[in-house]
Amino acid sequence: MAVNRRIFVSGTVATLAAPAILPRRAFAQDKVVRFTMAQDFTRIYTFVTSEYSQGQRDYFTLINERGGVAGYKILAEVSDHANDLPRAIEAYERGKREGAVLCDPLSTPVARALVPRALEDKINLITAFSGRSDAADGTVFPYVLPLSINYWTQAGLILDYFRQQEKGDLKGKKIVFVHIDTPFGKEPLPILQVLSQKLSFELLPFPYTPPGNDQSAIWPQVRRARPDYVIFWGAGVGQTVALTEAIRNGLPMNKVSSSVWLSESDMEVVGKDAAKGVMKVEPCASGRDPKPIKDILAEVVGKGKGAGPEGKVGTAYYNYGVQMAALMVEGVRKAAEKAPNGPVTGPWLNEGLTAIANFTADGLLPPTTITKEDHQGGGQGRISRWDGAKFVPATDWFAANQDIVWGEIRKYSEEFKKTGK
Amino acid sequence: MFYRRTGIRHTRYEQERQLFPLHFDRLLILLVLFLLLAAPLVLDRFYLAGYLLPWLIWSSAALGLNLLMGGAGQIHLGYGAVMAIGAYGSVHLVRAGVPLEIAMIAGGLLSAAIGMLFGAAALRVKGIYLAMATLAMQYIVDFVISQTPAISGGTLATLQVPPVRFLGISLRGDTETYYFALGVCIVITLFMLNVGRTSFGRALAAVREKDYAAQILGVSTFKYKLLAFWVSSFIGGAVGSVLAVCYLRAISPDQFHIELSIQILAMVIVGGLGSVLGPFFGAALILFAPIVLNNLMGFAASSLGINIPIDLRAHLPLVAYGALVIGFLLYEPLGLAKIYGNIRNYLLVWPFRHAQR
Repeated sequence: MAVNRRIFVSGTVATLAAPAILPRRAFAQDKVVRFTMAQDFTRIYTFVTSEYSQGQRDYFTLINERGGVAGYKILAEVSDHANDLPRAIEAYERGKREGAVLCDPLSTPVARALVPRALEDKINLITAFSGRSDAADGTVFPYVLPLSINYWTQAGLILDYFRQQEKGDLKGKKIVFVHIDTPFGKEPLPILQVLSQKLSFELLPFPYTPPGNDQSAIWPQVRRARPDYVIFWGAGVGQTVALTEAIRNGLPMNKVSSSVWLSESDMEVVGKDAAKGVMKVEPCASGRDPKPIKDILAEVVGKGKGAGPEGKVGTAYYNYGVQMAALMVEGVRKAAEKAPNGPVTGPWLNEGLTAIANFTADGLLPPTTITKEDHQGGGQGRISRWDGAKFVPATDWFAANQDIVWGEIRKYSEEFKKTGK
Repeated sequence: MFYRRTGIRHTRYEQERQLFPLHFDRLLILLVLFLLLAAPLVLDRFYLAGYLLPWLIWSSAALGLNLLMGGAGQIHLGYGAVMAIGAYGSVHLVRAGVPLEIAMIAGGLLSAAIGMLFGAAALRVKGIYLAMATLAMQYIVDFVISQTPAISGGTLATLQVPPVRFLGISLRGDTETYYFALGVCIVITLFMLNVGRTSFGRALAAVREKDYAAQILGVSTFKYKLLAFWVSSFIGGAVGSVLAVCYLRAISPDQFHIELSIQILAMVIVGGLGSVLGPFFGAALILFAPIVLNNLMGFAASSLGINIPIDLRAHLPLVAYGALVIGFLLYEPLGLAKIYGNIRNYLLVWPFRHAQR
């Protein structure tokens, strides 16, 4: 059949109109907690999201297969918002209409636009490793919950580890900060500047232009600066390019560190052996040893119910997903403890999420305590090193420089509060 | 049969020249207007905030770009930057305590001034070279905004829009923002409908068809090219501030990158260059086709029990969306507005196909 204009136009109209006509799916279960997981699978975060989402869905499957949590089943609606605001807002509103009490967009631009809406609608907005860093201040952002260490805390952790390496004294050392030249890349600068004053080391920032697939002009300058330590800060392709250039310029890998955005997948691109020694911040344990990951392997993946390729189970971003899912589920458990019969609403879940105390998910996370004031969870993380095959923890869970981080958080949350009135 | 053109005899020039000479068209417009006005009372908030509001705002922006591209024939790849200037200008003014009515106009004027500055390139270059010049504008504006903390709003690079009032009405709820965006859209649409009948619109058309021929006929291409950029940038800036105040509520540089410019450009081209109706159709297709296709896919995956991996599920709608855009450009190069035009032409004389139009 030759496609002519009339067939094309009428076919398109029929396809686009179909969702409006077809019957909506009805849900039989009465005790369901709905989450909206509209994330970016196609535009910028791509493989990060698919690994993160795989972890989340596997953990939810694990919980649901065991009969749910306190009688509630978790229903996570996963969709793609492609980092596009109209699509993300549509997904958020759709979720709200269907009764979702939590939204996890995993995208900074989307989180920014959803913050005022979530605060109005009283829907818990999870902004793990994204969104506004000052959302850690729960008094100003009651319904925005990062539940994870923000970029300021990560910078504080890295510098404290450097200080430990130099036996407590960074005086006169030279630390280079190579970052993508976007708001995200510049975010840790205030913390680094305050610390450079306090610990009297020399801070040299080197910005590279986004998206960062060519950084060959920057790294020779970094080498010539003869730094004692290097921090590189980017996302996506910028990370692997930065690491490749660092290796090419002969920088000692055991003096180079990045944020949470470094994973096994990046190491495959860079070369597993060449990158030996490079450091990253770990918000949760990686690998397959933690108990939740073992459980998932046995009860979900082993039974063919895994959400994605088995090889990704236990990689860094997969475990971030499990970490966030575990925190959400723990929030539901706490909420059900406080009010067993619901009703399931945003405030109901919020009560639970802000009551999480010393939760470690059987060793997957550092002890995390979320309160109504602190939505970051205590600010603990650890530094780990790439040994050629996996990331090996170099420290125990620790928190560092939280006074400086909270100074910065309060500065910005105060400002947000002022414009809100 | 529907349009009932028989018996319509214009006895005065005003009747002949009115925007919608046919009674049926006037009724149709009133019906659409009535539906849009009644929408907040009937529709769920989900449709209002998720579909109608962005549709109105993006259509308004596409109308502004259409004046430049369809009206004056000047290509512009940096319309997102134009909107950014308006958004940032007005939000800064609003934060400083200036009323929104004035801030919006001032944002528009700021966009117009800067837009015209870059538009001056159009005096010397055309076509693909002008595209490059306006693309440069996009990147320069992006760079200036994100590199100046005073503009972008510090380390977090987010400017919160404070609660605002327009003519004494607080723009907080969905209904208020919807009516505000609808009002702005109606004003812009009326302007676009009328511009074709003015000397300004005719001069733009002359410049579009051949600029030196227009110059020979006594139409100053210098003046009208700059004016086209001025007007279109003013509309872009004003719509930018509506976008910031009604929809985004917190602005950051990444919301106005090249993606926005390309999106609006696509709306104009798919909708139909030079048509007033086109941008509305274009905006609907470009904004909502990915959403609808995605939901369709999700529906198929969950209720029909087809197990599609999420990566594939996320990418298939994009493939379909791309095919759709190419399909429309192949089968109807004059845009979606032309499809409506074809249907209307057919029905004008239906059921007498052989009748003269």
